[in-house]
Amino acid sequence: MTDEPLLEVNDLEKHYPIRKGLLNRQVGAARAVDGISFEIERGETLGLVGESGCGKSTAATSVVRLEDPTGGEVVFNGGGRAGATRNEGGTHPNDVTRFDKTELKAFRRDVQMVFQDPSSSFDPRMSVGSSVAEMLLVHGMTDRHRRRAIVEDLLERVGLSAEDYDRYPHEFSGGQKQRIALARALVLNPELVVADEPVSALDVSIKAEILGLIEDLQAEFGLSLLFISHDMSVISEVCDRVAVMYLGEIVEIGDTEEIFADPQHPYTEALLSSIPEPDPRAKREHIELTGTVPDPVNPPSGCRFHTRCHKVVQPEGLNLEQSVWQALITLRYRVASDEIDVEKIRENAGAEDAVKAEIRTEFDLPQQLSDPEAERTLDRALERLAADDSEGAAEVLNAEFVTPCEETHPEYTDHGDGHVSACIRHREEVRSEAFADD
Amino acid sequence: MATQRPERFDQVNWEEVAGAGRFSLSTNAKGLLVTTIPLLALAAYDWLVLDERTPTFEPVGLNVDVPILDYMFAFTLLLFAFYVVLPLYQHPRLTKYYWREFRRNRPAVVSLVWLGVVFVLGLVGPLLITSPEQNVLHSYQPPVYLSVNAANAATCAGEVVDGMCFGTWQYPLGTTRAGKGVFAMLVNGFGITLKIGFISTFIAVVLGASVGTVSAYAGGWVDEILMRYVDIQGSWPTLIMYLLIIYTFGGRLWLLILLLGTFSWEGMARYVRSKALSISEEEYIKAINMSGASAFRVVRRHVVPNSASSIITDITLLIPGFLLAEAQLSFLGLGDTSVDSWGQIIAGGRDALAFAPWIVLAPGLVLFLTILAFNFVGDALLDALNPEAAAEAER
Repeated sequence: MTDEPLLEVNDLEKHYPIRKGLLNRQVGAARAVDGISFEIERGETLGLVGESGCGKSTAATSVVRLEDPTGGEVVFNGGGRAGATRNEGGTHPNDVTRFDKTELKAFRRDVQMVFQDPSSSFDPRMSVGSSVAEMLLVHGMTDRHRRRAIVEDLLERVGLSAEDYDRYPHEFSGGQKQRIALARALVLNPELVVADEPVSALDVSIKAEILGLIEDLQAEFGLSLLFISHDMSVISEVCDRVAVMYLGEIVEIGDTEEIFADPQHPYTEALLSSIPEPDPRAKREHIELTGTVPDPVNPPSGCRFHTRCHKVVQPEGLNLEQSVWQALITLRYRVASDEIDVEKIRENAGAEDAVKAEIRTEFDLPQQLSDPEAERTLDRALERLAADDSEGAAEVLNAEFVTPCEETHPEYTDHGDGHVSACIRHREEVRSEAFADD
Repeated sequence: MATQRPERFDQVNWEEVAGAGRFSLSTNAKGLLVTTIPLLALAAYDWLVLDERTPTFEPVGLNVDVPILDYMFAFTLLLFAFYVVLPLYQHPRLTKYYWREFRRNRPAVVSLVWLGVVFVLGLVGPLLITSPEQNVLHSYQPPVYLSVNAANAATCAGEVVDGMCFGTWQYPLGTTRAGKGVFAMLVNGFGITLKIGFISTFIAVVLGASVGTVSAYAGGWVDEILMRYVDIQGSWPTLIMYLLIIYTFGGRLWLLILLLGTFSWEGMARYVRSKALSISEEEYIKAINMSGASAFRVVRRHVVPNSASSIITDITLLIPGFLLAEAQLSFLGLGDTSVDSWGQIIAGGRDALAFAPWIVLAPGLVLFLTILAFNFVGDALLDALNPEAAAEAER
């Protein structure tokens, strides 16, 4: 066997056009997936983790071509396509995004998917057996008895009985339905299974059962898995490698153990700190992610995570406490998007000074910043804000409190063993400046 | 052994299987095909070989003619048998489930029995009891056990006691002015009702469901054009158009059925479209797309069957509408006077309401009961045909 990976995703993009007006002109695009790359080896499980809305599921549906990606390539080397080399024009013969109808249909046998919601993943008017057997029928198996025999055998393998063939979805529990969903994904004997949050809708005990079943099946049939989840504890249980996604981009990728032991990207740190700790005495920093994932139509410039990052870098010459600096950044963005209701604060506080103090309290800012230069700027901005000039305030803040994170898009830094992350703190010059006295 | 007949999913040689013949018909399609071909052949023979006046079965010695409406009726019956009744038999487990749910609604069960009677009488009745002949001597006979003033009846078929004419079993429900037995007319009316119900509904369902699914699936400008047409048809003064067409071409039953069916599917199209849109967002549709199935298969096997609850509920509202429309047009004197539809009987009896109320009452009551039954059955079907909702509610 060659050592090429089973699946190779290069700069995959899925942008949804946003159209407006009478002529349906495109006015922008929601960049749900914006240039992600990863590989899956044969027999390997890659976890794709991130908050909801970060583009995980879109990435999955684009990889399997349920939706057509808008850019990039997905090279699938399974199903007897191994050992292909690139064409002269640079395109790959195994590029899924360029498959024609026949190739795509064959590809459907090699890659299958398990969905999140067991309650809606089966046709309520079809017995579950026929739902599974339909996959065989679509691919040309016209022999009804053979279809039934195969599906009955498979139902037993996923922990159900052959008699369940004739039962209907409403007669099963969520966990049982997810078992049947696994059977449906397996029935065409695929090499890669994409599992999109397969256990998120299940109770804890059933979750463990299903995860165990997935691992058993994977071992028995040599499956590769792309496992999508928002739950780091699930990921740690099943995945060999993890890719952390934020707002359409992969911010960190590496071996599961490595990532859990030594996360490099602040977003990964935040996700890891959200895993509940069984030991109540264990002291661990709990990082709270504030706000929601920004709008993918208009993502933040530079590093997309900098608006919520607890390690956002301070500009040269500024040396504030990190939490204060983060609060300043938050204040800046809130002022810029005109989300602060000064009227209301004034009603409660009264005098201008009180309004300024109130705003500081609301954003967890101290009444006096440690850096006199920064204090002057903040005071000037708050004064304008109190005078109902939020544009002026935004101007002042935008001019002074600028983080290098928003100016440069971080490159990937290699931490060895395929552990890669994208954070500008890993670049030498930034490291020396900002962390000189760390 | 295993290599001879692999029955495990990972032992299937897909190169071999995927290349095999792909075109296969379901049992239902085969059944429909096998029965429709002779029907079509007979229709073609009737139309091409025999001249207009020769009854269809004269060459074999029977004086039975098959009018064009009966061909359509027979076809819709076949469709009903192979795509409504047979699937219920093929999926006993689901059928039992539906029946359990349906049974909870007592009035609906009674209504279903009544509709069964209408169906059987409508099918068999006209074969056993032919349309009654005029008999002026026996006009305005009262129903059996009842009596009227003998002066009202031309000659009394039964006994005359104290100047009162009593009804006889010869005319169980009395007679009309022309001396036709109301019971015999009523039985023939069941047949007409069945034809109106089946054929008009068939036309409306085919048009409505096709436009609805195409609209939902194609989207874009196709959707826009189809739905705007539906809006136009919905706001069209259909009654005035009926009047114009009937005035121009005469009130033929088949024309009425055609018109009713063709101009009543807007609601169906809207229902089916919205249902299909919500269905296409479901994960099981994604799973089926993931299998590489064609869009036609997805629509035919999953979207349409799952829209069935909308379609069937709409049908139970459409049919009463058709029956009422026919009765109303007949009452206005715009129906087909050559058939004994319930509406025609009512229209014929309206002048004699004062002294021969049975002529209006008997078909009126039957019409009322039938429409009521459809409403009850529709209500119960709506609940029974939605397993998801029921399963969610039980949790």
